[in-house]
Amino acid sequence: MNRLRIDLFISAPGLLLLAVGFLVPAAVILVLGVRDADGAWTSVHLVRFLTDSFYLGIAWRTVKLSLLITAICVVAGTPLAYIMARGGPRLRLWLIVCITLPLMTSVVVRTFGWMVVLGRGGLVPDALKMLGLVNRNYTLMHTETAIVAGMVQVLFPFMVLSILGVVQRIDSRLEEAARVMGCSFLQSLRLVVLPLAVPGIVAGSLLVFTLSASYFITPNLLGGSRLPVLASSIYETATKTLDWQFAGAQSIILLIGVLMLLIVQAKLTRPAHG
Amino acid sequence: MKKIVRAAAMATLLAATTSVFAQQTLVVNSWGGPYEKLHKELVFEPFEKANNVKIKVVTLYSADTLAQLRAQKANPQYDVVHFSGGQEVIAAREGLLSPIKPAELSHGKDLYPFATEGMARGEGPVHLVTAVGLLFNEKKVTKGPTSWKDVWDSAYGDHLVLTDLSNSFGLLGFLMMNQVWGGSIENTKPGLKKVGELLNRSVIINSSPEVQQNFAQNDAWLAPFSQDYAYIIRKSGQPVKFVMAKEGTPAVYFTANLVANRPNQALAKKLIDFELSPEVQAAFAREMRYSPTNRKTQLTPDVASEVVYGDAVRSLVRFDPVAIDKIRNGLIEDWKKLIAK
Repeated sequence: MNRLRIDLFISAPGLLLLAVGFLVPAAVILVLGVRDADGAWTSVHLVRFLTDSFYLGIAWRTVKLSLLITAICVVAGTPLAYIMARGGPRLRLWLIVCITLPLMTSVVVRTFGWMVVLGRGGLVPDALKMLGLVNRNYTLMHTETAIVAGMVQVLFPFMVLSILGVVQRIDSRLEEAARVMGCSFLQSLRLVVLPLAVPGIVAGSLLVFTLSASYFITPNLLGGSRLPVLASSIYETATKTLDWQFAGAQSIILLIGVLMLLIVQAKLTRPAHG
Repeated sequence: MKKIVRAAAMATLLAATTSVFAQQTLVVNSWGGPYEKLHKELVFEPFEKANNVKIKVVTLYSADTLAQLRAQKANPQYDVVHFSGGQEVIAAREGLLSPIKPAELSHGKDLYPFATEGMARGEGPVHLVTAVGLLFNEKKVTKGPTSWKDVWDSAYGDHLVLTDLSNSFGLLGFLMMNQVWGGSIENTKPGLKKVGELLNRSVIINSSPEVQQNFAQNDAWLAPFSQDYAYIIRKSGQPVKFVMAKEGTPAVYFTANLVANRPNQALAKKLIDFELSPEVQAAFAREMRYSPTNRKTQLTPDVASEVVYGDAVRSLVRFDPVAIDKIRNGLIEDWKKLIAK
């Protein structure tokens, strides 16, 4: 009992901050989504979302792009994390610096960078034009490709660092044992390292997926208004048409989507936790 | 003992001096980009100096400002808010603004009637006016547009720039095109149908500075947009011209509004009054081609030839803000559905 009281006492400032700064405001916003203008409970906003193919399309685009972004981060991030874990301390330090350095720059600034690179007359369209693949006015701006490129760059460090933490803890003697038992290098990766790295990959994927599903500034700037995603739709509904109830309803949908994913993740990683 | 007395004396002195120098603060919004820069230079900075007051400028578009005012209703954080999309009508109706009588402002009696019309409804005065017409690149287009229907001319190829309807200029430009194709504020179907035909050859922008960027970098040839930005783009060296189409030119009224339930209303009113002064309005006309609303404003001939001036402002098309507010959300949703890929 005493112990509990001390624990509570120590965690009180943090809990208070969490309650005042996060739980209460978030709850207020979510409750907006199931109330009408007079404050009575209603599901009309949720129904409006779920029965309109336009909004379902936005939800589908959000899920589709987030999955793609996550997949690219996994495929590119896992080998890199492995190299970082198994390389010397000096190499690891430099790679970590390289990975985390972009985090020091604001996302908005990096997104503007992508706008220059992908826009008409930018580096990528120019290179494609020189190769004779596209015409003069080709631009990658306002395409899903642009959103994916920008988001992968923003979220890649989260994936790599999540996997790195797990791979570093894998005993390298296990790999040696596998090689001694006749595994090739690639087999030892596939049969030993990869299964043990799953918790890191799952944690990283979850982080990247939830972040990309709720990001709005990068999709907004790179995708433009013709490619809305759920987060930018919430923003527009809240600030442009001032329909807070419907914005709240869209937040509920996004939250439920992410929570469902959390449950799946908990199920997936349970065996790995032993 | 002496020490204590001396220290107490020092402290009192210090307190006295700080209270003398304690500045009052006004919180206002402006709209970013070149407009905000000018707004600071012509209004806020001179006013700060003259009145020993600190002005905190928040960059926020009209619709977002209204959203914040509503959210802060119990505890407002702005003293003066500027609107360009008719939001003052809604804000006044919801009791978010304090009414001002023209007689309370030293320049009130010099304003054109259209600038004080809304004050009876509790809105702030109109301090500047700009017009929405057609911007075109005179180097790329041999024959400039004369009609809103020219936007549909295939000669402009895929070099069109359209503005999202969440932007005041975009909304007014759309309503005008809708009207030209037989629609009305209550019936926006004709406009949506016709604009739908343009989507595959247009870039759609959200914020005002993007229009400049599109003329400078993205090879834009034609954009329905506002006169103030046309002038800014031209000044930056782009061969961009502003045309008033023959079917009419929608007016955009910029209003300065007094927020209700704020402590410094007298000072805030003074700031609004300052924005109405002939000198400030002449400078706005000179720098960004805004139409003045104070009839004492003196414009040099070259400026006067490029702005809609005086009672001629009446000839601009004025869409009813109350009617727009009624259909706005539905229209924006229809628009979003139209443009989404």
